[in-house]
Amino acid sequence: MTAFVLATVLGILFAAGTFLLLRRDVLRIVWGVTVLSQAANVYLMTMGGIVEPSADGVPVLAGHGEHVPQTTDPLVQALVLTAIVISFAMTAFALVLTYRVYQEHSTLDTTTLEGEP
Amino acid sequence: MTDQFVVAPMLVALVSIVLTLGTRRRLGTQIALSVAGALAYAGTVLAIVWRVVFSPGASPVTYQLGGWPAPFGITLVADALSAFMLSMVAVVGLAALVFSVSYMTPDEQRVFYHPLFHCLLLGVSGAFLTGDLFNLFVWFEVMLLSSYVFVAFYGRKKHTRAALWYVVLNLVGSVVMLVAIGGLYSITGTLNMADMARRLADPAAFGIRVEAVVGLSALLFAVFALKAGLVPFQFWVPAAYRAAPLPVTALLAGVTKKVGLYAIVRLYFTVFGATRLSVSIPGVGGDSLLAFYGVVLFCLATASVLVGGLGALAADELEGVFAYSSISQIGFIVVPLAIGAASARPAIQHLAILAALVYALNHALAKSTLFMAAGTVRSAIGTSRLRNLGGIASHSPALAGVFFVAALSLVGIPPLTGFFGKLLVFDVALRAESAFGLALLLGGTGLTIAYTTRVWNRAFWGEASPAVAASSPARVQLVVVVALAACIVAVGVGFDPVYRFADAAATAATDRGAYIDAVGLTGGAGA
Repeated sequence: MTAFVLATVLGILFAAGTFLLLRRDVLRIVWGVTVLSQAANVYLMTMGGIVEPSADGVPVLAGHGEHVPQTTDPLVQALVLTAIVISFAMTAFALVLTYRVYQEHSTLDTTTLEGEP
Repeated sequence: MTDQFVVAPMLVALVSIVLTLGTRRRLGTQIALSVAGALAYAGTVLAIVWRVVFSPGASPVTYQLGGWPAPFGITLVADALSAFMLSMVAVVGLAALVFSVSYMTPDEQRVFYHPLFHCLLLGVSGAFLTGDLFNLFVWFEVMLLSSYVFVAFYGRKKHTRAALWYVVLNLVGSVVMLVAIGGLYSITGTLNMADMARRLADPAAFGIRVEAVVGLSALLFAVFALKAGLVPFQFWVPAAYRAAPLPVTALLAGVTKKVGLYAIVRLYFTVFGATRLSVSIPGVGGDSLLAFYGVVLFCLATASVLVGGLGALAADELEGVFAYSSISQIGFIVVPLAIGAASARPAIQHLAILAALVYALNHALAKSTLFMAAGTVRSAIGTSRLRNLGGIASHSPALAGVFFVAALSLVGIPPLTGFFGKLLVFDVALRAESAFGLALLLGGTGLTIAYTTRVWNRAFWGEASPAVAASSPARVQLVVVVALAACIVAVGVGFDPVYRFADAAATAATDRGAYIDAVGLTGGAGA
């Protein structure tokens, strides 16, 4: 069930990101890239696979009661953390750049941007 | 524990970033520290080259970050291939930095120019040294982050526009890379490149489905092709190269582009090449995953050589010509790789990588010289439009001589570095009996002669135009480009040690067992 939900969410995220990326407005393109990188992060999470937990794989689970929930591979979470930091910085930079593009060109329409000399 | 020197280039770059940031208000100190940092960087690279390639008992050196053993922690590997790429960074980086001290105005240098420059060096060295797939992604990002800022550096109309496309394109590239890396981790159960090579050589033992690796590696390949600027991923190249400051463009074209090529050699020849797969494509031998990439690489190389060459013929600025030319030259580097990948014979593969590396070295030296020469023209004359130039040869023979040497090296005239690059590339095509490859190389060389001659005729020959006659090239800039041109001649004349170096690098790229052993995993030699 979890796999099904995740697959659906991923599909929607990638679709929405791609849709936004293909718009004419630069701001929407930046949002599209942001949604796409979040989609990639969720995808990375699922790639760890959902496994039976064990104290060997996830040391923090040791000594936390009888029942422990199913868990994912901790390595992918470390990867996602790194990817989040990078995509956060890049979103900030892309937004600032968008503002600068607007200052220089007085437009955020990509077709107009492309046509300028 | 003397293995730490593997991290030395990165550490030096990192310290330079901090120091140049700290001395932002005193430009003189900042420049001195920055140049000293680049010199120290070159020194550490020299130490690595000596230890890994030329010293008696040379062997690859690995450093396990934090002391975590190989497949679990991040491994840094300095082997001959990494050392070869790093030495290109050191030479071009040092030259570009000294050049920019004269080329960039003091105000421009104050706005984080030097820290960013070292950040670019840091990202590139990290990418060349890492032995971990996800870490490669991180270094790519470090490198890209600073190159984004450099493309947007001047912040006017064309720069912001070029930067926007460059940023969006590379962000999408990063997403694709993450997806591919995640998938590969899921399939192979490891991120360590050596471990991955070991597992892919014996997929059954580790429960790996090889078919999935084909698709995911193709996804990853698209990202590397984007970084290397191969057609059809080349459209960012001309705009970005014209927007960035010219010394940085020299570094981007000379070195950063090679990161994509390095990743292709390292991952596809060393790691994914281990996969056995039945390939039934006409004219392609072998039962390795590489055979499939032989075809892909060949198509990309053909398109790059032609599109780049024709674009260079039509460009109207010096930078435009050189930017398109670098697309074409990357094609030349990929042609032997394609032939090597399609060939089942190990000897051809080895020779192919050797040829590609020597050609890459030639391109790094010649193209960065040309971009910096264009920078000298631009800062002395105020324009680099071919229509406003003319007669530089009679007005400034030294600058014209530099262009002459670098352009001839691109064409491949002895005794310059480019001659050996071309010779080896043609040798690979002949030995592999690839008639189409030979035709492509000949046609591409024809295009190279055509566009270099066009620039020579328009900008350097004839009567000095009014703009040229009133100009005088800056001394520091001339010294740097003359030194680089001398380097092109010197590497060509004393080619033997360079050949041995490239030979060791090619061996490192193809000897999968040695790579796995160096990282400290068992089963390298046997697998």
